[in-house]
Amino acid sequence: MNKKIPNFIFTNQFGLLCLVLIFIVIFSTVTDGFTSRFNIFALSRVIAIDIMIGLAMMVVILTGGLNLALGAIGVCAAMFGGWCMEVLEIPIIPSIFLMLGMGSFLGWINGFITVKTGVHSFIVTLATMSIYFGFMTMLTEAEAFRRLPELFTDFGSAKLFNKYISPLLLVSVATCFVLFYVFRFTDIGRKLIAAGANPEAAELSGISVNTMFIYCHILSGFLGALAAILLTTRIGAAIPSMAGQLGMDWLLPAFLAPVIGGTLLSGGKLSVFGTMLGAVLVTLLTNGLYLLDVGEFWIRFFLGIILLLAVLLDRTREYFTLKNVIVS
Amino acid sequence: MATLFKKDWFGLLIVVIVSGLAIAAVKPAFLSHFNLYVLMVSTSYMLIIALAQMIIIAIGQMNLSVGAIGGLVAISFSGLMEVHQISVPVAVLIGLVIGMMCGFLNGYITAKSGISAFIITLATLYIFKGINLGITEAEPFYNIPETVKNFGNAKLGNTPIPFLIVIPIIITFLMWVFMNRTETGRHMLAYGNSVQSAELIGISSSKVVITAHVISGFLAATAGILVVCRLQLGTPNIGDSWLLPSFAAPVIGGAILAGGKVDVIATALGVLIVVIISQALVIFKIDPFFVQIFLGVMILLAVLVNRYREYKQEALRKIFNSE
Amino acid sequence: MKLLFSIVTSAAVVLSGGAFAGSSDTKVALVPGGPHPYFAAWEKAGQDAVKDFGLGKADYKVPAEWDLSQQNELIESLVGKGYNAVLVFPGDAVGTNKILGELDDAGIPTAALAGCVEQPTKAKMCFGTDTGHSAYLGTKQLIDAMGGKGKIAHFTGFLVDPNTTLRIKAVEKAVEESGGDVEIIQVIADIDAYEPADEKINAFMAAQGGEVDGIVTTAWVPAVVAAQALTNMGDKRIKMVGIDHDEVVLAAIKAGFVHGTMLQNPYGQGYIGSYAMDKIRGGCTFKADAPWKSTAQTDQFIDSGTVFVDITDVDNYVDAMRGISLEILKTFEGDFLDC
Repeated sequence: MNKKIPNFIFTNQFGLLCLVLIFIVIFSTVTDGFTSRFNIFALSRVIAIDIMIGLAMMVVILTGGLNLALGAIGVCAAMFGGWCMEVLEIPIIPSIFLMLGMGSFLGWINGFITVKTGVHSFIVTLATMSIYFGFMTMLTEAEAFRRLPELFTDFGSAKLFNKYISPLLLVSVATCFVLFYVFRFTDIGRKLIAAGANPEAAELSGISVNTMFIYCHILSGFLGALAAILLTTRIGAAIPSMAGQLGMDWLLPAFLAPVIGGTLLSGGKLSVFGTMLGAVLVTLLTNGLYLLDVGEFWIRFFLGIILLLAVLLDRTREYFTLKNVIVS
Repeated sequence: MATLFKKDWFGLLIVVIVSGLAIAAVKPAFLSHFNLYVLMVSTSYMLIIALAQMIIIAIGQMNLSVGAIGGLVAISFSGLMEVHQISVPVAVLIGLVIGMMCGFLNGYITAKSGISAFIITLATLYIFKGINLGITEAEPFYNIPETVKNFGNAKLGNTPIPFLIVIPIIITFLMWVFMNRTETGRHMLAYGNSVQSAELIGISSSKVVITAHVISGFLAATAGILVVCRLQLGTPNIGDSWLLPSFAAPVIGGAILAGGKVDVIATALGVLIVVIISQALVIFKIDPFFVQIFLGVMILLAVLVNRYREYKQEALRKIFNSE
Repeated sequence: MKLLFSIVTSAAVVLSGGAFAGSSDTKVALVPGGPHPYFAAWEKAGQDAVKDFGLGKADYKVPAEWDLSQQNELIESLVGKGYNAVLVFPGDAVGTNKILGELDDAGIPTAALAGCVEQPTKAKMCFGTDTGHSAYLGTKQLIDAMGGKGKIAHFTGFLVDPNTTLRIKAVEKAVEESGGDVEIIQVIADIDAYEPADEKINAFMAAQGGEVDGIVTTAWVPAVVAAQALTNMGDKRIKMVGIDHDEVVLAAIKAGFVHGTMLQNPYGQGYIGSYAMDKIRGGCTFKADAPWKSTAQTDQFIDSGTVFVDITDVDNYVDAMRGISLEILKTFEGDFLDC
């Protein structure tokens, strides 16, 4: 009986990998241009950013909560960084640290309010989303920072591996490995998962669930800022509208990747590589749909359907796993 | 009189009256005929949007697709009239049916799959918006029949009261009756309060959830149609700005997001407060960016206040129970 | 509207007499910043350019939202599909430069239409309305109509639109030149969408309607909403100058509620832009000493024309724009290109 469950989990990521490969084959043969250098490079950048956004949301979903303010945090970090680099002329590396710090700070606020008031993180982040975004717009007067250091912006257009892959992708994949290690092999990682899986039991075994949840929110803010850094190098400027109105444009990729990847919305179970593959799959599908002339306007529709199917599938899988457990 | 004070909405009513008078003192034009008309027009569809979210909050869930449903119905309504020459009443009917079907989809999947309504409605938000964009290709429908346009502009006689607000007022009244006096309404509140207790009493979860979502979809559709009447065209981005206000108003009106406690009248007053604030920001030439911050802070405050009251109620209950 | 556009086309065909035969493997993508009625004319312009110049394709492709990332992704996928010339309304004056540079690396000529990117840029040209100048002229017209003094309000478009800041500054400049007789009492920006425009403009009219003497609108949607508001209020005291050619605005001009409108030339931009891209692909280059204009953003600006239209010529507005488009086309190659 125990053999069934590991296989099942294995199936999720493995299944995703198969899907990814299948779609790559389909799109390569059916469309022209999918395998062109230009296209693959462009894809590598979008995937890099979507992976990061997905990871940022994943760590909050772990707590059974949500971080609607993710986009807003990202934009705030980016604009703060732009201000540091352009106006204060702080060099790139310290600016990056400052941006990550800003993201972590805003994430901490979310976590703190959620934990101290007991209000669900949905409503807390719904409120902070508008507060963060509003302050950012007010302080910057919606003006972008367009004269960022060249070294910084060049990173976004740099091409590796014979011009096929963007270094942004390497950053994201490296982050995946780091997170995987943390959650699988470190003490703090296991505590975070335990706190999300069963808060009462965790509390009883001496884990301070509140602190763990705050850590998750901080990490989410940190990763969100990292995603924003990648996006800023890609665009070459720090623009207030980079994540849409109130940062809401990030919400779909933020949820799609982890959910498709096997992270449970109820908390307590995550999959780093699942999230990575989820982001890859979604980006591939979107790109393929564009290339197949599906019509740019129907892309949203398909993404919504994919999300729906992903959660329903997730649910069915959960149901069957449970059934197996009980039956055996 | 004492009972009046205790009512949730009494405090809000005071806030509305006081802020209205305060603004009028500084800017007398605030109470002018035309301005009251403008305020009532904004309130008209805001009211329905808030109620559409409120009923879902009542059952302890959230409906992110309110705006998307509104937008889809808005373009369907205008598109049917422009492209297929369908008469106004039939187009309205079809629009409302579309709204109910969207709501049914939300409710059915939520009820049957047990997945959180948040993620389901996030997905359907994209689905409905996607259909909207796919059909319109982001271009609005301009040719709205004269009768519809007139409806959007007309007033009741010489008063500043717009035709547009009549329907929302009727709907608010009906919602009040529904939530407070009908069995289904009370079942919804019970379900929102505690799913297990409700099921133990024999309330059907699916029925409650599906009914609530269908009503929510119906209301979102109504709001979409009213907005078309008001704007005199059907544009695909109707509904894009509904998310925040749809939560702000019920929450300000005392709703608890965990479910089980909503107040129709308080929600209506919450809408008034949101509308007055939005207008005040334009009148006082406050940085428009400030609106975002303001709404966010209001939601947070309202939630904290509600939480505090909840907490006190819990404490009181514990004291009473232990005696 | 459709009839009028076909008149323009036929006139263009007759006048061009096939002198502008192009290459049939030129595939142009016309990409706006997002959905907006202003760009609708680009679609017909592209189709006509294909017919008149023998291009392979000139397709109008709209990003589903006003979002730079979405525009970038759309452009990237269009290139993947084989489009080899891109005309774009920049999603951001600098942010779009990145992708234009990458397209240039891939050998794809690009140009900015209706809105410019900041220099340095790889775009071959910026072909659009001199929006600053247009806003300036419009404001001057308004001040004239108001009798030289009074209080005005300015309603304008998205803050992410590179033109918006130019317009705000231009209106301020025109007002400054009145030497204190005219005052701007409010600027409402970011309302180039119907719901927020309706809410804010009506709130403004209700609250400050009594104090304002003139309104200048420098974006399509606020122009429509403001024109509608004045018509509904039956107000002829407040003078208004609008922008673009929405039917509501034109009707309001005829009825006397709106003083006039500043026309832009979206059709000409798409039509001549496609033509230019084809020429570049055919080996032509832009002359260094071409009669470029300079704006705040770029030194490679070509004016697609703007014209003030009031009640006297509102019925012939299409003629006015047609005239300008054809003028530009006739001398374009000679003035700007080295073939």
